[in-house]
Amino acid sequence: MKFSSDEIASVLQAEIEQFDSKIDVREVGTVLEVGDGIARVYGLSGVMAGEMVEFPNGAIGLAFNLEENSVGVIILGNFLTIKEGDEVKALGTLLSVPAGDAVIGRVLDPLGNPLDGKGPVQTSTTRPVEIIATGVSERKPVSEPMQTGIKAIDAMTPIGRGQRELIIGDRKTGKTSIAIDAIINQKGTGVKCFYIAIGQKDSAVAAVVDVLERNGAMEFTTVIAAGASAPAPLQYIAPYAGTAMAEHFMFNGGHCLVVYDDLSKQAVAYRQMSLLMRRPPGREAYPGDVFYCHSRLLERSAKLSDALGGGSITSLPIIETLEGEVSAYIPTNVISITDGQIYLQPDLFFAGIRPAMNAGISVSRVGGAAQTKAMKKVAGGLRLDLAAFRALEAFAQLGTDLDAATQSQLDRGYRMVELLKQPQYQPMTVTDQVLSLFAGTRGYLDDVPIKAVQKWEKDFRQWIHDKHPTLISEMNDKRELTDDITKRIIEAIKEFKASYKPVVS
Amino acid sequence: MTEAIKHDTVLDPGAEQVGKTYARALIGAALSAGVADDVLRQLNTLVDGYLASSEKLTAAFASPRIDQNEKNRVIDRLFGSEFHPVLVKFLKVMAKRDRLGFVGAVRTAAVSINDEMQGRLVAEVRTAVPMDEATRAAVVSRLSSTMNKQVRLVETIDPDLIGGMVVRVGDTVFDSSVANQIDKMSRRARDGFSRELLKRFESFAGSNS
Repeated sequence: MKFSSDEIASVLQAEIEQFDSKIDVREVGTVLEVGDGIARVYGLSGVMAGEMVEFPNGAIGLAFNLEENSVGVIILGNFLTIKEGDEVKALGTLLSVPAGDAVIGRVLDPLGNPLDGKGPVQTSTTRPVEIIATGVSERKPVSEPMQTGIKAIDAMTPIGRGQRELIIGDRKTGKTSIAIDAIINQKGTGVKCFYIAIGQKDSAVAAVVDVLERNGAMEFTTVIAAGASAPAPLQYIAPYAGTAMAEHFMFNGGHCLVVYDDLSKQAVAYRQMSLLMRRPPGREAYPGDVFYCHSRLLERSAKLSDALGGGSITSLPIIETLEGEVSAYIPTNVISITDGQIYLQPDLFFAGIRPAMNAGISVSRVGGAAQTKAMKKVAGGLRLDLAAFRALEAFAQLGTDLDAATQSQLDRGYRMVELLKQPQYQPMTVTDQVLSLFAGTRGYLDDVPIKAVQKWEKDFRQWIHDKHPTLISEMNDKRELTDDITKRIIEAIKEFKASYKPVVS
Repeated sequence: MTEAIKHDTVLDPGAEQVGKTYARALIGAALSAGVADDVLRQLNTLVDGYLASSEKLTAAFASPRIDQNEKNRVIDRLFGSEFHPVLVKFLKVMAKRDRLGFVGAVRTAAVSINDEMQGRLVAEVRTAVPMDEATRAAVVSRLSSTMNKQVRLVETIDPDLIGGMVVRVGDTVFDSSVANQIDKMSRRARDGFSRELLKRFESFAGSNS
């Protein structure tokens, strides 16, 4: 498309005609020193904590430390061209980011600038980055399920809309994969997803975006990226910025899923800023308010009351532990803030149990309230059974002779572990999960060889979808295991087993 | 391209703090002796006259290697007869505490404290061309009436402003310069362009579907 020159000139003319030469009044200061993403500014005597300031190169800063003689400013942008003596202008507003439908499907930096080369975010809707979370009377208890599509999680640590469920584990244990699966599973549910990458390699972020795109999940997802090369202030505000974008949908009655990947990097960025600002260090050199840093963020995930539209933000914060050390400072903090945690273990991961979730110490404090009735029926007690199986398994390794009851409990356990394995990026519907778990917990797999369980499950699901579509659709509608449905499932399983011969490779 | 440095010296908040403390003490002492104006004028002569013209004296004042007695002797010999005893004693106190190097900072702070006590304001005015008397009087009277204080002007010439003036009182800047207005206009025009481009693009995309 071509633009004629008079079209452009008309824009300019309109601007000139509207222009009124008012005196520009501003509060200013002078840069004393700058470096590592922070600046000390002399002057700005009327600036308030958290207020935005502007540097001559256009970079935005936030007043972070108010001292007697100077103001500590964190710089959200290029700090390399800021010089000593530069004039800093107070803007009198708080930081805000673009929000609304325009941000969906985009890859943005924490200030809302595009990183995906699709042009600027065209919206006039903005939301302040830091707000106080909604209060008690504006919320209601978590009641609807937020399906992750992962059998092990939906059965044992169910997540509800408005819940905060921590994903914690060592590096390379599949933390991000669980979050990505959960995002992919939101396809068709109207849930908006926000993936906030903090301090990660840009290549890892690009890989996530690629996976989301290939699975058609980018259509309802926003990626907010503050990579490892981004200055610490940007990494620090990234989760708040992402939450602000999600809040737009929540307050309009929508549902959101926010993944913070990961909050330990954000804590490290905050520690860096605080130490450079000469705030006193505490445990592990983190500043005293690092708990508040996470609690005020996660407190913004909520299930709103019906009067406010009933919207919700579900969050999946991720914490990376070092050598399984959950009692370090940041992990204990975030465990105490969230409504439960999914603990991933490297030894399970390498034993081929993926997702490598440790059923014993993973919990969801919201629990059954966030499960469908059908799921509650098949999965009740599964977590405790599995934890008991783990203890029994350790005991059985001593080589003692076992009685028949114990042996059958062990056999059931091995098959359940096998059944809960699930490949990456293949989330399952609730109905499929219920069918699989039904077969496992009711003992219909006890005569299937352990190694054939996964194949059996896959073939069974395929078969029942082909042969009994009415049963599937009925289960989808009712979400409950009535006596009639239970009977039909049992019949279907028997029918399948009669004609199916498990192959052990 | 090198930009002219807009502030006269490297800002040192530590020195400023020291200066403020000593200045408050000096003004207090001078007021109780009833000689505040004299002392302030003499302090100005000391800094602008003696210290500015003699590098050696400045260095000697700041040097920790010259001991206190020596400094006291110098102060007595040079200023004993000329300066008011309050100021001479003050300089000796500073010498005793090894703070003689901060006399400049004390002067800056003392002037501003004095201005504040007298209900005077300092307004820095930057203009593109030197102001004539009438403009100066108009600026002073306008500022005094809005601020409700006596206004003292510190003028600088900055051709980059093109026209108009920039008045700075404390940390607040009143900017009516032509350069700033052009800058703002260009920003708004830029925003207008992108808005207009998007509008065109949307109508273009809309007509297709």
